[in-house]
Amino acid sequence: MRATFVASEVGSGLRRNLTMTIAVIITVAVSLGLFGASLLVRAQVSTMKDFWYDKVEVSLFLCSKGSDTPSCAGGTVTPAQRDQIKADLESLRPLVEEIYYESKEEAYKRFKEQFKNSPIVDNVSENALPESFRVKLSDPTKYDVVASAFAGRPGIEQVNDQRQILDKFFRLLGGLQLIALLIALAMLVVTVLLIVNTMRVAAFSRRRETSIMRLVGASNFYIQLPFLLEAGLAAGIGAILAIGTLIVTKSILIDQVLAPSFQFTAFVGWDAVVAIAPLMLLTGVGLAGLAAFFTLRKYLRV
Amino acid sequence: MSPWRSRRGEFIFLVGPSGSGKSTFLRLVLREERPTKGQVWVLGKELNRLSNWKIPAMRRQIGTVFQDFRLLPNKTVFENVAFALEVIGKPSSQIKKVVPEVLEVVGLDGKEHRRPDELSGGEQQRVAIARAFVNRPMILIADEPTGNLDPGTSVGIMKLLDRINKLGTTVVMSTHDSQIVDQMRRRVIELESGHVVRDQSRGVYGYAR
Repeated sequence: MRATFVASEVGSGLRRNLTMTIAVIITVAVSLGLFGASLLVRAQVSTMKDFWYDKVEVSLFLCSKGSDTPSCAGGTVTPAQRDQIKADLESLRPLVEEIYYESKEEAYKRFKEQFKNSPIVDNVSENALPESFRVKLSDPTKYDVVASAFAGRPGIEQVNDQRQILDKFFRLLGGLQLIALLIALAMLVVTVLLIVNTMRVAAFSRRRETSIMRLVGASNFYIQLPFLLEAGLAAGIGAILAIGTLIVTKSILIDQVLAPSFQFTAFVGWDAVVAIAPLMLLTGVGLAGLAAFFTLRKYLRV
Repeated sequence: MSPWRSRRGEFIFLVGPSGSGKSTFLRLVLREERPTKGQVWVLGKELNRLSNWKIPAMRRQIGTVFQDFRLLPNKTVFENVAFALEVIGKPSSQIKKVVPEVLEVVGLDGKEHRRPDELSGGEQQRVAIARAFVNRPMILIADEPTGNLDPGTSVGIMKLLDRINKLGTTVVMSTHDSQIVDQMRRRVIELESGHVVRDQSRGVYGYAR
């Protein structure tokens, strides 16, 4: 094996086929960029799930004066009802992790705090907000257990699961991620087809060299190696461009733009990027290598 | 095709009209093609039973020369000959030593740095022969090596092939050049529609002429 000879063959091959090489680099970069972006969105969704599911509560709103649901036919919740609800919640441990009672006054205070910059505060009186039990579950997916036990019970106006609101949002993000993944897959197919054609052209433009190589007894491996290295190198450059884009996205779009404006939630950390980058490189170089290998097997026979 | 075998160090002319199977026979020896029936033995091995990955090693012991030279136009004389060694992984120290030697054998010393388009047809064929011979093969196959050359140049090429033969390499050469065959008086095998119709040890091109 003569490394310098192989390297010079690879170099001259890439130069001779420069436009095709550039096309391969760009398609690899775009498809892997999308692939990486979709993986990053997935990591983001799972980060947010971890962050939010830890915080979500089930709220049991109790009947107040204006409530008109059937379970509130008896008017404002009585202290006896309230105590009974509390006792029943206690009996659901350990599923129920924490129980926290929020009075009308506390609810109003929290409301004022949340909307302190909004004129809506002036239109809401202290009495308009219901008192409630805030319940934290050890397993947020078992919301149904609480809902079926308390919904429609006298004194309870409504059982509310914050997770359902979050799930809508996560489904949206999941949909975006799926679309990015599908586009990435389509682009990867395009990339593979382009590499197949590039290899065909490369094999054709060097048929004189390869026919002489076969004639003087060069091994198949030696004949195909420069082609494989060319495909791998082009794909590698494309992958590095895509990884660079991913890093820029993380450090600028996420860390400097999104994170300061949306401080209430968590964003993916660098560990996700570190996990995704090698996967992108491997996918790009691996696909290119396989595509090149199977094309060459057909066009460079012994 | 009736069976025939060559002995080590022979010089064999393969004659016959176009389409009689001369080139096909040479391709069978290189195992560029497989026979539909029968066997081809090369250097003690039956090619049909030789597995694919052993073919390159077999071809390293066979040099090949064509009518159309098949040189690489963007490489110099030296690089063209060195290419044959580079692609089978020979170290560059050996290449630097062996290539000038073989260029001297074929009479091209001093033209190492020319490109093929700066050479005459005869010189280009000498480069091709140097490339075929540089690895000191057991067999040299020449498919109408003088087919593109004028008679004077052809004589020079034949002298060179004769010299290589005397160095111990078996030469198998297909040709349409009756003058050369008649002058050299070597073994002649005549093919017709794929069959051996004549095998003469000190033959001439044809009885009719």
